[in-house]
Amino acid sequence: MALKALDIYKLLPKKNCKECGFPTCLTFAMKLASGKADAETCPYLDEATKQLLKGATRPPILRVKIGVGERSFAVGEEIVLFRHDKSFVHPPGILFLVSDRQTTDEIRRVATRVKDEVFPRVGELLRVNGIAIRNDSGSPEAFGKAVRVVEETAEFPEMLIAGSPASMEAALAECGNYRPLIHAATAENHGAMCSLAKRYGAPLAVRARGADALRNLAGTCAAAGVQDLVLDPFPETLGEFLITSTLIRRLALARSAPELGYPVYLDATAPGLEEAALSLGILKYAAVMVTTPRNPASLLPSLTLRQNIYTDPQKPIQMTPGIYRVGNPTRGDPLLLTVNFSLTYFTLLGYLESSRISCFLLLVDTEGFSVLTAVASGKLNENMIRDSLQRFGVEAETGHRTLVLPGYAAPLSGRVEEATGWKVLVGPRDAAEVPEFLEQSWKKAPGG
Amino acid sequence: MAEQEEWTGTIGRVLLGATRGDGGTRSVQYCIGGSRDLPFLPGEAPCGKRPLIALEICDDPVLWPPVVREQVGDLAGDTAAWAREAEKTYGADLVRLHLTSTHRRQTPDPDGMKKTVESVLAATTLPLIIEGSSDPALDSEVFQRCGEAGAGERLLLGTAEADRYRSIAAAALAYGHAVIAQSPIDINLAKQLNILLREIGVPVDRIVIDPYTGALGYGFEYSYSVMERIRYAALKGDTDLAMPVISAAPDSLTVREVRDAAPADRQERALSWEFHAAFPAAVAGADIVCVRHPLSVKRLRDACSALAARQKGTPAQGGG
Repeated sequence: MALKALDIYKLLPKKNCKECGFPTCLTFAMKLASGKADAETCPYLDEATKQLLKGATRPPILRVKIGVGERSFAVGEEIVLFRHDKSFVHPPGILFLVSDRQTTDEIRRVATRVKDEVFPRVGELLRVNGIAIRNDSGSPEAFGKAVRVVEETAEFPEMLIAGSPASMEAALAECGNYRPLIHAATAENHGAMCSLAKRYGAPLAVRARGADALRNLAGTCAAAGVQDLVLDPFPETLGEFLITSTLIRRLALARSAPELGYPVYLDATAPGLEEAALSLGILKYAAVMVTTPRNPASLLPSLTLRQNIYTDPQKPIQMTPGIYRVGNPTRGDPLLLTVNFSLTYFTLLGYLESSRISCFLLLVDTEGFSVLTAVASGKLNENMIRDSLQRFGVEAETGHRTLVLPGYAAPLSGRVEEATGWKVLVGPRDAAEVPEFLEQSWKKAPGG
Repeated sequence: MAEQEEWTGTIGRVLLGATRGDGGTRSVQYCIGGSRDLPFLPGEAPCGKRPLIALEICDDPVLWPPVVREQVGDLAGDTAAWAREAEKTYGADLVRLHLTSTHRRQTPDPDGMKKTVESVLAATTLPLIIEGSSDPALDSEVFQRCGEAGAGERLLLGTAEADRYRSIAAAALAYGHAVIAQSPIDINLAKQLNILLREIGVPVDRIVIDPYTGALGYGFEYSYSVMERIRYAALKGDTDLAMPVISAAPDSLTVREVRDAAPADRQERALSWEFHAAFPAAVAGADIVCVRHPLSVKRLRDACSALAARQKGTPAQGGG
C-alpha cells in the first residue's frame, strides 16, 4: 500500500545527514512519498526497509520507454481510472503490423508509411508510432531479414512478435540496441525471453490470459531482473479486454498488486472489429496497440480519438494569442475577434477557408477557454480586448477600426465600443454562419 | 479502491415502445437502464446486454448530411419508406424521426406533421423516438400533435432543455410518453433539468438524459467525460442522475474531415468518424446510441456485441 510522508519519515534514520542530497530526512520522506526520490540514496537503511520503501513509493504504474531517438515514446505513469479525475498521461503507442511472410517491398511500403505519414490536426501532428514485425514464418532467418528491411527504411520504435527465443534472438541481433518491445514472455518461454530482454536492456511484454495469470508471470519476470515490462492480458473478446484492463488499472493504482503496475498491451487486429478494438484500447487503458496498416480514411478518426481522450481536461489545447491571417488579407479586410481555445480557432478557420474569405483573426488570451465560458467567467472583457488591440498593433495591420465579436460575446459589445473607441459588429454564435455573415454585413459596415 | 468498487446506486429503468398487450402497436418493448456497475463490467446487468442503436431519419432532408442522402437516395423523400428500411434493411433497434420540416422558415403544418408520425408508426413496428420542433414558438403545437399521434405507443419525445421543457412534458404526461432531457455537456445542468422535470410531475422512469455529444475532434472528449461522470455519480447514489443516457453526435457526418475527404474515401471517412463518437459513447455508458448513416448501424452493433460478450460465442441481446 502507499505510504504517507510521515509514515516514511518514521522509517528513516532521522540523522539529517544530507547524504541523500536533501537537507533533512523529512524532505527526503516527502520526496519519496511523491515518487521523486529513490530509497537507495540513503546509506543508513537496512535492506528490508529499502525494499519496503521501494514498493510503497514507486509510481503505481511504471514508465516504460519504447524505441530510441526522436520517435521513441514512453507509456505508463498513469494515475487515474477516469480522465476527469485528473488526466491521462501518455497516449498509447499505435504500431502497424507486418509479417515476415510478406515480401520485402510490402514491408518497406508499410515502413515508409510509418516514417512519412502525418496528419496535422488542431496544431498537432498525429501519426502512428512504429511498426510491429511478426514471426509468422517461424524461421529465425526470415524474421531477422524482415527486421533488417524495416531498419533500412527508418528509425522508429519496433516491436518484435515471436514465440520462439531463437527467432527473437535473430531479430534482436538486428535491432536489439534500439529498445524494441519484445513480445512475448509466456509460461513456456519466459526464462529465455527474460535473458534476451536483460542482455539487450529491452522492454518485455508478458502474455498470460487474465489478471491472475499475468500477475504471476510478471512477478516471475520482474524477479528474474527484467525492469521494463508490458502486460498482455491476451483477451478473447473486446468485453474481456475491458474487464481485465480495468481490473489491472484498479489494482495497480491501489498499489495492491505491484506485479500489475505496468503498461498494458492490446492486439487490436481483431478481424472486422479493428476500429472498435483501437477505440476501446484508447479509452480503457491500453498503452501499446498493434493494428494492421489501416486506410487513412479510418486511421485518422482513431488518431483523433486518441488526441481527444489524452487532452488534459484542465488544460484545453491553446493557441498563442495574436493576429492570425486567413487567406491573403489586405488593409480593409474584416477583423474577427476570437479566443485562443484551439478548437474554436480551428473550427472557425475551417469555415473561413472553405468559403475562401480573406480576413484577420485577433486571438485574445482567454487561457484556452471557449467564448461562452470566457464571457461567463469574465476572462473575456472590454479591458483585455482594448489591451490586445494595442499590444498586437491591430490597427496598423487592418487599416480600419471595426471589430467583429463572436455572437456569444454580444453582451460585451457596448462596453467594448466604449473602452476601445472601435466600432463593434456582433457576429453569429455558430462558426458555420460566419462566412455568410461577413458576406452580408461587412460590405455595408462603415470602415469595412 | 479495490477489485470491485462499492456502489450504492442503480440506474433507473425506462420502458420504450408499447406492444399490443400494453395498448400500443409495437412489436417489441425495450427496458433501458437498470445498470449496477460501470458499463460492460461484470456487476453491471444481466449478461450480454448491449446499448440500443437508433437510426435517425427526417421528414425534410434539405439540411441532412449529404453522405446520408447519397446513400439512401429516394428514401429521403419518403419518410415512411425510410423508417421501414431502417428496420428491415439496416437493422436498427429504434427509429429516431426528426421533424426537420419545422426548422425551416415556413408556416408549420401541424396536420401534415401528425400524418408523418402516423405513417412512420404504420411503416415500422419498432419503438420510436420523435424529435419535435427546434423553435420554442412552435413547441406547444408540435409536441401536442406528435404526442397525440403516438398516443399509447410509449414514444421517446425530444428534446427538453432548461428553458423549454413545459410543452414537451405536458405532451408526454398527457399521452404516456417518455422525454429526452438535454443539457449542454454539464453534469450539474443535467441534474438541474431532471429536477425541474420532476417538479412539474414527470416521473423519473420517463426521463432519458442527453448530455449533448460533440463530434469527434470537436469537443467529443468533454461529452465522453460527462457521460462517465453521470454514470459514476448515479452509481454512487445520486438519484437525480440515475436515468438512462441517450447519445447522438449530430455533426459527425458534416465535419471538415468528412467534407474535405477525397470522393473515393468520403463514405469510409464518414462511417468511421461517426463510429468513433458512437462507440466511445457506448463505452462511457450510453443506453441508446444514435447514428445517421444507415451503414453505421451494423458496424456499431457488431462492435457493441463484441464488447458485451465476455467470452467468444456468447451472443449479446439488445436492450430488454
